[in-house]
Amino acid sequence: MTPPTPHTPVTADERSVLADLTGLLTRLLQDEYGLDDIEIDLQTTFNRDLELESIDLVTLAGLLQERYGDRVNFAEFLAGMEFDEIIELTVGRLVEYVVTSLKAAEAS
Amino acid sequence: MAMVDTGSVRLHVQRIGPRQGRPATATVVLVHGLLTDSLASYYFTVAPAFAAAGLDVVMYDLRGHGRSGRPAAGYTLDDNIDDLEALLDRLGVTGPVHLVGNSYGGTIAFGYAARHPERAASVSLVESEPATAAWAVKLGGILDRVMTQLAHHESDAIAWITANRGHNTARLAKGAARLARETSLGRDIPASRVLTDERMAAVRCPVLGLYGADSDLAELAPWLRAVLPDCRTVVIPGHEHSVLVEASGTVGGHILSLVEKAGRVAAEATG
Repeated sequence: MTPPTPHTPVTADERSVLADLTGLLTRLLQDEYGLDDIEIDLQTTFNRDLELESIDLVTLAGLLQERYGDRVNFAEFLAGMEFDEIIELTVGRLVEYVVTSLKAAEAS
Repeated sequence: MAMVDTGSVRLHVQRIGPRQGRPATATVVLVHGLLTDSLASYYFTVAPAFAAAGLDVVMYDLRGHGRSGRPAAGYTLDDNIDDLEALLDRLGVTGPVHLVGNSYGGTIAFGYAARHPERAASVSLVESEPATAAWAVKLGGILDRVMTQLAHHESDAIAWITANRGHNTARLAKGAARLARETSLGRDIPASRVLTDERMAAVRCPVLGLYGADSDLAELAPWLRAVLPDCRTVVIPGHEHSVLVEASGTVGGHILSLVEKAGRVAAEATG
């Protein structure tokens, strides 16, 4: 098991959310597949580049919940998509969704 | 990630409920299908809407699947029903539940209802059927093809699937081949004990059968209505076996109506 992500404050901007997600995905790939040194950027796709299966996305949903609480609902985000959109999903698209959700939570 | 130890296997469970800690109106248990499936097929489709509608939603990975443990043996239908029974017991879910099953998951859900008719508030079968002798023969044929083609000639089969069905399906098929190779699933399921017409008719709660119009299973709809005391079927045009994932809004809507109606009927009966 890799050590838990340090509890840095959550900031609703693209750069820090990308850093958060990179940390969560690195942890998931290490825990489930024993993989190290996977490069992740905004264009990285969950399906083809990271080879994540749908059950891995359930695990990712749990990690996002730990990090952001109820401010971000990954299951609802994916439930609103067509199957092909999920297959093509990029880290950048998720970053965008997380930033929007965090800003909406700040505003309310 | 929540793991529940049933005593014979560790099962991965996800449970979501209404927002802001509102009390749930009922519990719905979602059971996924064979080989390439996992609770993710519900988690990212109908589950969020069920929770938003006020339900306590329980999803789990079947033994050998998803993040659950993979014992080498114990894959008959009765073993799967035992797992479901033990899981609900460990979770402290004692009252009647609404059962939903996709494909083989529906066969498990229906089997649980037949074993414990008093614990089933309703059963929704998505592209699924109760365990009959014909079902066992059909599953035996499918699993035999998986075992011979995938598990024993894997590289040829995967090359063909990649070329004809794409990278994603090929990866799912590799996972299925591994499961078939590492466990007795392929032998156990066709050898499962099946239900008699009397035991099927003992399921007196409302049953909903949902089928894709272009699936082979759609032709079961009239038979299911004839054999069960309280059964309605819906055939969804333009879909095949993966109707749950491809038309989740429609499928989820039909299930929610059934659950809400069964809840009202139960409340009138007791109140």
